[in-house]
This record gives sequence, structure tokens and C-alpha cells, in this order.
Amino acid sequence: MATSQEILNALADYQVNCNENKRLRRMQRDWTKLLHFNAEETGDWFTMNVINGEIVSFSTGAEGTPDIIVTTISENLCDMFWGDLNPSQKYLQGEIRVKATQEDVVRLDAITMIIWPDA
Amino acid sequence: MNFRRWKMGSPETIKRQALKDFAEFISPMKVRTMRSAGIDIIEEKRSGACSWDITGKRFIDCQTGSGIMNVGRHNPEIVAALKQALDTYDIGIFLLCSKQKADLAKRLAEITPGDLTCSIFGVGGGEAVDAAIKIARGFTMKTGIIYADKAYHGHTGFALSAIGRAAYKESFEPLMPGFTMVPFGDADAIRKAVNKDTAAVILETIQGEGGINIPPEGYLAEVRKICDENEVLLILDEIQTGFGRTGKMFACEHWGVTPDIMTVAKSLSGGIYPISATIFKEEINDFFIPHPFVHLSTFGGSDLGCIVGLAAIEYIIKNNLPGNAEKMGQRFRAGFDRLLKDYPDLLLEVRQKGLMMGLQYTNESIGPRMTKKLSDRGVLAVYTGNDPSICRLMPPLVITPEEVDEVLAALEDSMKELSGEKGIGKND
Repeated sequence: MATSQEILNALADYQVNCNENKRLRRMQRDWTKLLHFNAEETGDWFTMNVINGEIVSFSTGAEGTPDIIVTTISENLCDMFWGDLNPSQKYLQGEIRVKATQEDVVRLDAITMIIWPDA
Repeated sequence: MNFRRWKMGSPETIKRQALKDFAEFISPMKVRTMRSAGIDIIEEKRSGACSWDITGKRFIDCQTGSGIMNVGRHNPEIVAALKQALDTYDIGIFLLCSKQKADLAKRLAEITPGDLTCSIFGVGGGEAVDAAIKIARGFTMKTGIIYADKAYHGHTGFALSAIGRAAYKESFEPLMPGFTMVPFGDADAIRKAVNKDTAAVILETIQGEGGINIPPEGYLAEVRKICDENEVLLILDEIQTGFGRTGKMFACEHWGVTPDIMTVAKSLSGGIYPISATIFKEEINDFFIPHPFVHLSTFGGSDLGCIVGLAAIEYIIKNNLPGNAEKMGQRFRAGFDRLLKDYPDLLLEVRQKGLMMGLQYTNESIGPRMTKKLSDRGVLAVYTGNDPSICRLMPPLVITPEEVDEVLAALEDSMKELSGEKGIGKND
């Protein structure tokens, strides 16, 4: 089980990885979304705010009305933000659940492909 | 890469290289998505209702490019017609009159319902829809087009403007002006949307990409009435539903409604050579009398395409494929009813007309997951673009009872496995 602080640390790394990737920023510049992440076994929630492809903030708690909700166990959240797992595979196994439009599900996978091509 | 080099190496090596090249030179995300869904298939042999991956794995094709393969995969009679045509003909010169075009247009006039008698040809469905909307605007001298939410008509200019899915459109705005979206199945919404500037209402007879949405009883007849009362043309898109798919030659025949303009494509090609047609009433052809060269297509209705189109139509009629679609559809339905009863946490609803079939799962993650499980079991069936909670099943109309049973067994086995996993049910 990952602690809330560990997930925040992973999110901080993810923010740097995404924001410093020029190719990703160019690809995602038309993407503005509010994301919620739910660590199902701990009940922790996290909010990420993406504006024009830039992760401008993240925090604990479920703030605002999300466009996307990602639910999984805390370890998966950490591994996902650190690029240690393939989210598509987990999604297809039902271990990661995503409430979002089909386009946003593809966008999430595209982000992973760009920042961790081997995940 | 020359052909000999392409053929060297094990099937697995060739497949790996093909996917690598596809990712590098065409689309990395497409390869990734196909791989995730377990359908990173490189097709090699194709026959009847089946195709074989280059590694030798057999699939029953329930995707068929959303209805291209009504006559089956690599149908030998269609292939023979094309081979024979190639001994004499090429594409032809689009500016000239052509016997092949005339023969196909005449045959289309014979098999389409009512007084649809004139055709112009294109290469693909989007082009046929573009032509239909141009004709509607040109003939009526009005600009308004009413289309349906969740509609899918292709990705070209006018057709894209009539798509009822924002994701396909928003990156390319502004699109064509004068387009108004209404809910599918709601005739009153069309009545309210029609005004003095409305040229046409365009609908898929049954929505395919939108999730196999069957029109409610009386809907199409009411839309026909509204169009007649307001001098508005009715365009029916039969690109996925045409040529026997639903148990009739054209789906609009189920409801006894004849459009003013009909678009067809996909299975007119016999799965062998691309061709589409926009078929319309004779009076509408008056528009082209003073404008005979106002809409042209270099490759549309090529001599080869018309020969293949005629061969496809004759095969469909000779082998009563609409009848087989109805019969095999009933066989599928009996199996679906069992699945509805046994797997209520997975399967909510079945939408079906002949072999145009959609399974409504309980949530959006199930479509992609079922696609993968079905692929593992040798069935190619993919969720719809507009709604991943719906699996579209559109097998070739030549599918046999044994193959239907095989698909049903794969569905049952996949659902059995999925029901033991996380993330199923309505509220998950």
C-alpha cells in the first residue's frame, strides 16, 4: 500500500516529466481537464488540473467537478505516475477504472506512450 | 523494402517488423491501441467469414470494416470478375461516358426501393455523402442540413459537418455552416428544426458508429412526412446498412420509407475494389442538366469499380444474402437472449436488425476488455467509436450456422471469464 505522501511524490515527478516534455506539451496544448484520482483501498483522493496541456497543479482531495476519474489501488497510482506499469494493460484487466470520454482515455494512454515509451 | 525481403523471416518476425514500420511511418498510437486491445493483427489469408493473421491464427471477422465484406472475405467470384476485367480495362477516363458506369447505375436503379433511379459515383462513403449534400443544396437552392446526434457519415467536408460526435470535428472547426443537430429517433425535434432554409434531413437508417441505434417504429415514416410537407429532401445513409446487412436489401425497406437521396458504399465494393454511389430521384437529376460537370470524381465509379460493384450485387442476390442475414441474425438472437439472462452484470441490451448487431455492455471499460478476450478466442469484434460500452458485430453475410455458434461460444466464454474480474457492472 502506498501512502498519500508517496502518491504526492509520484505526482510531483509526473508533473515534471510531463511539463518538461516539449513534444507532449505541443501534442496536448488543446487539452484542458480536471482529473480526480482515487486510491480505492485507502480512500485517498487527488486532484490534478491540466490547462492547455500543462499540469498546473495537483493536490490531495477531490476538488471541483472532474472530467476524468481514475480509480485503482494506491500502489498502481504510484507505479502509474512513475512509469512502472502499463496503464492500458491494467485497464484491460479491470484493475484501473476510468470514467471519461473515449477521447480522454486515448489521451491518457498517449501521454504514457510519449513519456514512457517502454511502459 | 522489396517483396522478396518482405517475405523472408518467420511470420512472427515479419509481423513484428510490420508493426514497427507501421508505428514509425504511419501511426504509433494506432499500433499501441490495437496491441492493447489484442487486435494487433496483420491479416494474411482471408476467406468466407474468416481471416488469418500472418502467424496463422484464424479469426471470425465480425468487424468487416463496419460492413464492407457482406459477400465474405476475398470472395472468389468477385476476385474473378476483377481479374477478368483487368485483362481488358483500366480505371477509365472519368470525363467520358462509360458502359460500366451505365450498367451499374441501371442495376442500382433496379434494386433500390421506390423511384431512386439516377446515380453518381465516388470512391468512399464520405464522398457519397458529400455529393448527397451538394445535390440537396444545389437542387433545393437552400442551405440548411439537419443531422442526428451520434451520426456518422464520414470524415470529408460536408460529411464531417454532419457527424454527431464533437471529437471528430472540434480540431477542424469552423466546418460547413448551416448544419443543425437533433436527437436521433425524435421526429418532433426535426419538425421544430425545419425552417424555410432547410435543404435536407440526413440520417443513417440505423446508426452504426453511434451504437447500432435502431429507429423507433414510425420514426422514419414521420420524418418522411415532415420532409414532404416542407419540401425538404430526405437523405438516407445506407453505407453500413445496405446490400442485405439487415435482412432486406436496404434497411429503409423495413419501414417502407424511400428517401429522395440514398448513399451506398462499403459492400458495393465486394471488399475488393473501392466504389460508392449517391442514388437519387429522377426529378433531382434536373439539377445536373444545366450543370453536368459540377461534381466530378477522378476515381469514383471507375470502370473496374463498376464491374466489381455489379459482381457484388449479383452475388448478393444470387445467394440470397439478405435471407441469410435474417436467418443467421435469428440464430445470434437466441444466443444473445441466453447471455442476457446469464450475465446481467455485463450485458444490458441487444440491438439488432439481421446481422447488424450491437451488444450494450454495462459500462465503458467492458467494450475494450471484451474486444481483447474475443480476439484471444479467435473473434474480431470491436466496440463502437462513439460508445465503447457497445460492441458492434457485423460479420459477413455468408457466415454459417457453425460460425455463428463459434462466435456465441467465444462471447459466453469471454463473459464467463470477465465476470470473475474487477470493474464490471453498471455502477463500477
